[in-house]
Amino acid sequence: MSSGEHIGELAELYAIGALGESERRDVERHVAGCTACGQRLGEAEDDVAAMEAARLQHDPPEQLQRRVRAMLHRPAGQWSRYAPAVAAALILGLLPSAFFWEQNRTMHAAMEADSAAIGRVASTPHRSVAFSQMSDGSAASVMYGPDGSWYVVLVRGASRALSVAWMHDGQRTMLGTATPHGDVAMLYLPKSHRMNQLALMDGDRVVAQAQLAY
Amino acid sequence: MIEPGGVDDPLADGFAAREPWAFEEAYRRFGPLLYSTAYNVLGNAEDAADCVHDALARVWRSSNAYTKARGAVRSFLTVCVRNEAISRTRSQARRTRLSERLAAEPQEYEELGAGDPIERDRLRAALSRLPPEQSEPLRLAYFQGKTHTEIAAELETPLGTIKSRIAQGLRKLGAALRDGEGPRRYE
Repeated sequence: MSSGEHIGELAELYAIGALGESERRDVERHVAGCTACGQRLGEAEDDVAAMEAARLQHDPPEQLQRRVRAMLHRPAGQWSRYAPAVAAALILGLLPSAFFWEQNRTMHAAMEADSAAIGRVASTPHRSVAFSQMSDGSAASVMYGPDGSWYVVLVRGASRALSVAWMHDGQRTMLGTATPHGDVAMLYLPKSHRMNQLALMDGDRVVAQAQLAY
Repeated sequence: MIEPGGVDDPLADGFAAREPWAFEEAYRRFGPLLYSTAYNVLGNAEDAADCVHDALARVWRSSNAYTKARGAVRSFLTVCVRNEAISRTRSQARRTRLSERLAAEPQEYEELGAGDPIERDRLRAALSRLPPEQSEPLRLAYFQGKTHTEIAAELETPLGTIKSRIAQGLRKLGAALRDGEGPRRYE
């Protein structure tokens, strides 16, 4: 049925139930604004109602009347009125899920990095140097390949994430963040560059430094 | 005389305006017919009750489902419920159950059951007077809830022909049931 066309025989097909869902919706949309088609459909509905009335009749259960009443006495706009609250509840409900999903994903990536770092430290010759003492009592060190191809920064007693920076030529190049898991923070840096000085930073403030030798 | 649920009945005005009292009154008057309509399609009390409830809820939520041009509220609601019931049977599992139920009842008119014997006989006679090319597609649509596309494929007949035969068959059936009220303008 194209737009603007009258429904014709679709009226009888609708009334008897021979239309698919989409054609049914088309008919409903059309008759909502077309009196002539509404009348034709109404007549076909009279015929089907007469057929139904001649068939076996059953008594409805009493609880059906209660359900219908309850539905009617729930204001028609109730859901739309509560829509903002429902939306807010959904957002508040979903946000933690999204947050924990992201946290989980981040943690998984960190664990993979930690695993790679531990594998590197355990399987290849390396050097180790401690960072200078930090005021909060935590201790940090860096293990690195003798050729400068990888670095693992380890902070014990870490209470917060610390950034790791490469200090060179009066500049500071940020390399990444050591994020605590428990009281240990670790950052694995597979870098092919010999770095002589590393710094741990809390925001913009340098809290510890390490001098590396090759 | 005002036909109950007809277009001159104040119920039609209230129903068109979606007044809660009109819906309650419609259910009070036509509840047994609506429930029976659903039950005769679905064959299950619980499904029939859900079907009537959902069909009424859909009409209640829709701002323009019923207009007075449509005519009798009773007929409008009967078809709403019937179409809702047919939609439910069209899910695969329900369709299988329905086919099994229909297969167990080889006489199509057994579907008429034990309603008002006078009305039932009138309907039976009207159905039997239809030519087979009209009664067959009408039977498949009415008793088995098949779509016109399915009926055309099953009877290997062009879709347009099937549509016309169903429409003509229903109009003839209606005229026979109205018993001498005269033809409608679409006949």
